[in-house]
Amino acid sequence: MASCTIHTAPYSCSISRPAAKAFSLGFHQRHQQLIFFSSGRRSAVVCSAEKTVVIGLAADSGCGKSTFMRRLTSVFGGAAEPPRGGNPDSNTLISDTTTVICLDDYHSLDRTGRKEKGVTALDPRANDFDLMYEQVKAIKDGVAVEKPIYNHVTGLLDPPELIKPPKILVIEGLHPMYDSRVRDLLDFSIYLDISNEVKFAWKIQRDMAERGHSLESIKASIEARKPDFDAYIDPQKQYADAVIEVLPTQLIPDDDEGKVLRVRLIMKEGVKRFAPIYLFDEGSTISWIPCGRKLTCSYPGIKFFYGPETYFSNEVSVVEMDGKFDRLDELIYVESHLSNLSTKFYGEVTQQMLKHSDFPGSNNGTGLFQTIVGLKIRDLYEQIVAERAAASAAAAKV
Amino acid sequence: MATAAAVGVSLSAPIRTVPVAKAELLGRKPVRIGQMLPLQRMAAAAGRGRVVVVKGTQSSTPPDISEKVEESIKKAEEACAGDAVSGECAAAWDEVEELSAAASHAREALKANSDPLENYCKDNPEADECRTYDN
Repeated sequence: MASCTIHTAPYSCSISRPAAKAFSLGFHQRHQQLIFFSSGRRSAVVCSAEKTVVIGLAADSGCGKSTFMRRLTSVFGGAAEPPRGGNPDSNTLISDTTTVICLDDYHSLDRTGRKEKGVTALDPRANDFDLMYEQVKAIKDGVAVEKPIYNHVTGLLDPPELIKPPKILVIEGLHPMYDSRVRDLLDFSIYLDISNEVKFAWKIQRDMAERGHSLESIKASIEARKPDFDAYIDPQKQYADAVIEVLPTQLIPDDDEGKVLRVRLIMKEGVKRFAPIYLFDEGSTISWIPCGRKLTCSYPGIKFFYGPETYFSNEVSVVEMDGKFDRLDELIYVESHLSNLSTKFYGEVTQQMLKHSDFPGSNNGTGLFQTIVGLKIRDLYEQIVAERAAASAAAAKV
Repeated sequence: MATAAAVGVSLSAPIRTVPVAKAELLGRKPVRIGQMLPLQRMAAAAGRGRVVVVKGTQSSTPPDISEKVEESIKKAEEACAGDAVSGECAAAWDEVEELSAAASHAREALKANSDPLENYCKDNPEADECRTYDN
């Protein structure tokens, strides 16, 4: 392999960030860039064999430890763990192929600072988008960075940790698509849209066991964050390539437990390297109840919908599932009727769901669509790798 | 009777302890949520001529985080008593949300670390006890 030569301007080391510690420049990956000379003139043609693929995930519920992350990293193989030997309160997760970064680490104001200014963490004023852009760009180009750590327990900004460029970088948090520069770096973006009723039900389940919390305090907490959420986080939906929308079920009247859910996978059309999944016939509108003669389901059953729609003036395809899975054969039956799943073998979606049957959402559309999106991302990654290999092979022949 | 019941000694009248969610303890109107319905039934059944001792539901959150959550809720309620739509009020409740999320993660981490076999296998996946057969 040719030796590495740095051809882009290196990142200036004069970034002074929170702990007043100068960041190290980092190092390039081996075999990362090849430079070709043509017709005696220096024309730098970069053929990166291993440029990092960047995925953005917008979600309200914390960082890196969410179920979606665990499913996603599991599709790529291996369990993602916090970095060993580092800060125990680090939000980063690292597996063999994937690194998950929590965007809370780019808070410019710590908890005290935010309280003084009277801003929530949702407010862009509490986040350093310049640093976010610089570091994500650096990692994408193969340069390791010293990323700050936001400690959720103490509410302080801890000394930075070293992040080496992985094959796949996932940035998870409240604002992955807020800044347009960061948005352009993303190879794929996902928005997890939980409706207010479901959010309320989930937060009750999460917080009722806590001393000090009551129904009123949970409600007040959601209400107080809502204005900032609607103003800054919600609009990112329109930029996402895939939106997973979680709504209360329509199968059970007046359900407030949030155990049976209606989940919609909204996929943007025309996204490079992403072929939306479909039911039976691409482009048509299908309403499907799989339960019947061949498949028996228990109450309340399962209902599917597929069709083209318009979402924030984008052309999208929507696959919707309402209900829950009770048995393995329901899951495999549904999988066998969905198309364009990008599975490597028949039953892969079912296998992945079973692997994590203890995760929340494993028996409804949230788990199903999260797993499918994970497979789609794997497919996107493999396409990028294949393209790059083809490009460098073609360039080598020249 | 109540003290003996707290210790768990059985006396002539069978005593049943009923874990009750906090809302009922404070006498607030219990809301119809899945986890509460069976408890209401239990409490009703227990009330028929038996001594009932209620104890708060045990949370497995580490106490320091639990305290932080409690404190932050109190502070938030104070901050919002004045002006319910101010930035301070929103920031205070945002802090409550952040700490509640941290508490729930801590609870999960405790659960995840509680199995000694799992912990051993994380560090030694090649050991005989840890071999899994996926295919």
